[in-house]
Amino acid sequence: MSVKVEVIEGGVPHNKIMIAGLLGTLVCLYLTYLNVLTSTEMFSFFGGLAVIIALIWGSHTIKVLCSYGIGTGVPSAGMIAFGSGVIAMLFATRFNVLAPIVALVLAAIIGIILGYLSNNVLNMKIPAMVQSLTEMAVVGALSLMGFAALISGGFTFAGLTTGTISMFGMSLSTHQISFLGGGLVAVAFLLGAIAIQHPFNACLGPGWKQDRMLMLTAECGFLSMIVAAVMSFALISVGSALISLIIAIIGWFYTYNQYIVMSKRDAASWLDSKPIPDVEGH
Amino acid sequence: MSAVAAKPAAGSAMNPAAMAVGIVLLILMIGVAYILSPGIGLMALIGVIIGGTLIGFGVHFVPVGGAPAAMGQAPGIATGVAMLAAGAGLAGLFGGAWAAEQGLVVAVVTGGVGGGLMMAITCMMVNFVYIFGMGIPAASGKVANDPITGDSQAEYKSQGTEGHGLPFISFIGGVIGGVISGAGGTLIYIELLDLYKETLPSVMNVTAAQVMPIAVAAAGMFAVGLFLVNAVLTAYNITGTIEGPHDPKFKRWPRAIVASAVASALCGLVAILIVMPM
Repeated sequence: MSVKVEVIEGGVPHNKIMIAGLLGTLVCLYLTYLNVLTSTEMFSFFGGLAVIIALIWGSHTIKVLCSYGIGTGVPSAGMIAFGSGVIAMLFATRFNVLAPIVALVLAAIIGIILGYLSNNVLNMKIPAMVQSLTEMAVVGALSLMGFAALISGGFTFAGLTTGTISMFGMSLSTHQISFLGGGLVAVAFLLGAIAIQHPFNACLGPGWKQDRMLMLTAECGFLSMIVAAVMSFALISVGSALISLIIAIIGWFYTYNQYIVMSKRDAASWLDSKPIPDVEGH
Repeated sequence: MSAVAAKPAAGSAMNPAAMAVGIVLLILMIGVAYILSPGIGLMALIGVIIGGTLIGFGVHFVPVGGAPAAMGQAPGIATGVAMLAAGAGLAGLFGGAWAAEQGLVVAVVTGGVGGGLMMAITCMMVNFVYIFGMGIPAASGKVANDPITGDSQAEYKSQGTEGHGLPFISFIGGVIGGVISGAGGTLIYIELLDLYKETLPSVMNVTAAQVMPIAVAAAGMFAVGLFLVNAVLTAYNITGTIEGPHDPKFKRWPRAIVASAVASALCGLVAILIVMPM
């Protein structure tokens, strides 16, 4: 039986964050389906918001899991989340409008089995293991689906594998310029995996505060969303991509400022250093 | 127990009941693949399971030091399993992917060489930094004499540490681990690529040439996902750090074989289901 190394109380309970995160992610993912209903691509930015909500939930799950000294480092948790999530997400895209629900169920099944393997076969015996790995596989699958919706405007297999290229004024269908065929999925994978593991890795310790860590998660999420929004110029119309980019930049500025304010609040003291000290005149 | 003395509790004990459940799950998944697609699907799943097991076994050889190694207080490369395995495996995977057109054997061997080369360069540069940068000799804390060279270790070990640097056996272990896990990652990629090249054209109603980017990207992403899952499960098995094949923790490998085989079978089954007609 492992001993919980770090007991920090306070803040919103984990179950509340989990339920809010799950519902928020699913609602935002389905809001991107307005693209199909209104036949525009303007609602792609909801995919980015789904990513951020899922990441906030996921980073708190990592906090729950890594509070037990698992000895493998916090980044490994982010890697297994997206490693198992990408498998569930790619399969789920074949179910068209049901894709987010299928991704949720399939990722949960994969997570439960991986949790059983770690806890029983590998003898980890950590009480939060099964639930945490299940949640993390779901977070990985749903945030990749959010990235897919943000970059390509949809989350169906056909949408992710087919793009259009205009040549001499003609519009041709191609598989090379698409979320999957162009390899953008690999960039989305690492953007998400780094954003999910960084916040707890950066904020852990005796001075851990829940709101500061979650604000850092939102900041990392918006930073990833900026990159993903830039990539989306290749696949969706310029106007829609601009909406995503502007939302991402505004969100990033707000969360970054809030994070700095919270860091100053929690710090013992604060000294604004100058960029390069001027040594002349001594 | 105080928080300071708390250590990860995963002992070296085996859990026979859980392992039996794991093997039953494994057979169940192979059975599902046999019912769905007795020919090419089953072959791909077997390849994926062998590849995943190779990754799980190979990672045990790699000297992972973690944070203590970064401070020169434990032997090994100063980072976590997930990062090291991803580095070695992806280097192998990229190497093998270039050779994918030359057949299974050439590609898998190339993948192994790629992974081994990456680990050999990493181990050498790590020792450069330790010896010439930090000024500490390489010494193992787990054995009295190096199993290969027979060199005595205790004289070079600083007091209060578990050893430091990369002794010869750890270096060799790292290269062997890179070869095995690089070959495993490439095997997964090649098997899935062959499956997708065969089946995706009819699923998507396009020609074989058009489907290549999708087949390569999907097989590559599944291979990366499977690689990370297997590497992190192995990291859980060795609870973070290991010195190499001479470390007592190395004896835990049977557990990782079962866990990796079941996890690979599960993920491989999903990867095969994606091209099954619905």
